[in-house]
Amino acid sequence: MRHPTEGVLRRLLDEPSGVAVSDRQHVHDCATCHATLDVVRRDADLVRAALPGASAADLDLERARRRLSAAPTPRSASRTPVHPRGKVSSFLRRPSVAALAFVVVLGGAGTAAANDWFTIFRTERVEAISISAADLVALPDLSAYGDLEITQQPHLREARDASTAEALSGLSVPTVGDLPRGVDGEPTYQVGDQVSATFTFSTDRAAEAAAKVGEALPPPPPGLDGSSVRMVAGPGVAQLWTSDAGAPALVVGRVVAPTASSTGLAFEDLRDYLLAVPGLPPDVAEQLRTFTADGSTLPLPVPADQVTATATEVGAAPATLLVTRNKAFAAVVWVDDGLVTLVAGSVDSEEVLSVARGLR
Amino acid sequence: MTPWAPAQRAIRGDLDEVFRRDYRMVVGVAGRVLGSRDEAEDVAQDVFLSFGRTTVPTNEARGWLSVAAAHTALNLLRSGRRRASHESDATTSHDAVVGDVADDVITGQERTRVRAALARLPRKQAVALVLRHSGLSYNEVAAALNMSPGSVGTTVRRAESALRKELNRHASSH
Repeated sequence: MRHPTEGVLRRLLDEPSGVAVSDRQHVHDCATCHATLDVVRRDADLVRAALPGASAADLDLERARRRLSAAPTPRSASRTPVHPRGKVSSFLRRPSVAALAFVVVLGGAGTAAANDWFTIFRTERVEAISISAADLVALPDLSAYGDLEITQQPHLREARDASTAEALSGLSVPTVGDLPRGVDGEPTYQVGDQVSATFTFSTDRAAEAAAKVGEALPPPPPGLDGSSVRMVAGPGVAQLWTSDAGAPALVVGRVVAPTASSTGLAFEDLRDYLLAVPGLPPDVAEQLRTFTADGSTLPLPVPADQVTATATEVGAAPATLLVTRNKAFAAVVWVDDGLVTLVAGSVDSEEVLSVARGLR
Repeated sequence: MTPWAPAQRAIRGDLDEVFRRDYRMVVGVAGRVLGSRDEAEDVAQDVFLSFGRTTVPTNEARGWLSVAAAHTALNLLRSGRRRASHESDATTSHDAVVGDVADDVITGQERTRVRAALARLPRKQAVALVLRHSGLSYNEVAAALNMSPGSVGTTVRRAESALRKELNRHASSH
């Protein structure tokens, strides 16, 4: 009889009643499974000790309840946020960082050794790729294929008002027409400088990563090893309406669209090499094949089990509408004239589109 | 006017009931990720504010809240924008004593390293691990993450194995 999997052994530690009688009997009689079970138990104990829980015994439930019920309206929250910067900017960062990582993977998967940088990627459209959580697990880890170095940090900082934000960023700050219900008050302004990152491909590490999934790396194009791809985005500016606890009530952000430069290979070659790298889920590969050959589309991966993505329009520009499954957050993002604009927040899809289409 | 009226528009009617029932659980999940009860309580506030605006059925609230707490805490961990005192919080009296022999060999630095590794895990693995160690049953974890109960053990096992390797890797390099 086959040995039960380590997942079954793990459950055996916690919930023996959830494991089939035949598996329990097997483990009872099998020296090999006993040894594996010991390893599984040791790891579980080690992690339990490394991640102790914070005691909830003396939690002041009433105080916490008063704090929640006293959470002020966005008007007062915008004046006295607890720590909106981290929360809101992390909300803002998620899609852009995902896109950055993906684009760098895309670029890093293949470059030649020519000396001159040339642009392989200039964002003209945003296209969401739906990826399930299982696919995210299976996507190649960027670090397994080389080194990513952030060469310029965005230095996010607050600006006193809209005109200061414009002066610091060099961008015009979009004016919001009608705010959604429940969002009011004056926004705060954040400015970020240009950010750039360089990814350097390592054939040895990529081959190692491929070997871990039991496959060989396809023969890389000549000169690929050690060559780099550089990605640049920004500067950017954001207006934030926040709740007291730092949750983003509404964010309107604008950033100079990302571009990527490499040293030689055509976009099609880069894309085709990535498609051949072991570990890319078949459905994502299929969607990647649909991207334009001129590389003008910014792929924006979204977790399909948490976010739905649909195509829409803002003005004349094609846009992508993202809504979380629980309807708690919605966002719309589009590219127009070299600028990416994002409107997002704890509003519904109609409200977020209304704000986006009303920007002046 | 309900006690929740000032907070936000369209607050759901069962928020008070769910808050009283699940607040400790939410703080527990976030605290396991962050190692700081103060930060965990901040996360819990965010989570309940978001929950108040959803239409998640009451009988699914516990799963929704636990996943939201884990995600929010992991995002905070990954962002690096934590309170300056968070590492010292991890060893204060707010933390439960874990009755395990492994406790004796885990240092504060190792806990910090494991938390950093936790933030780098595939998100589903990290959330499943945190929920399971926070006391949710396999069936509860499976329902909350929309996976089969049979795959919870495999997912948790992979996460634990990865974290143990992280500890071993560092130990062997010293």
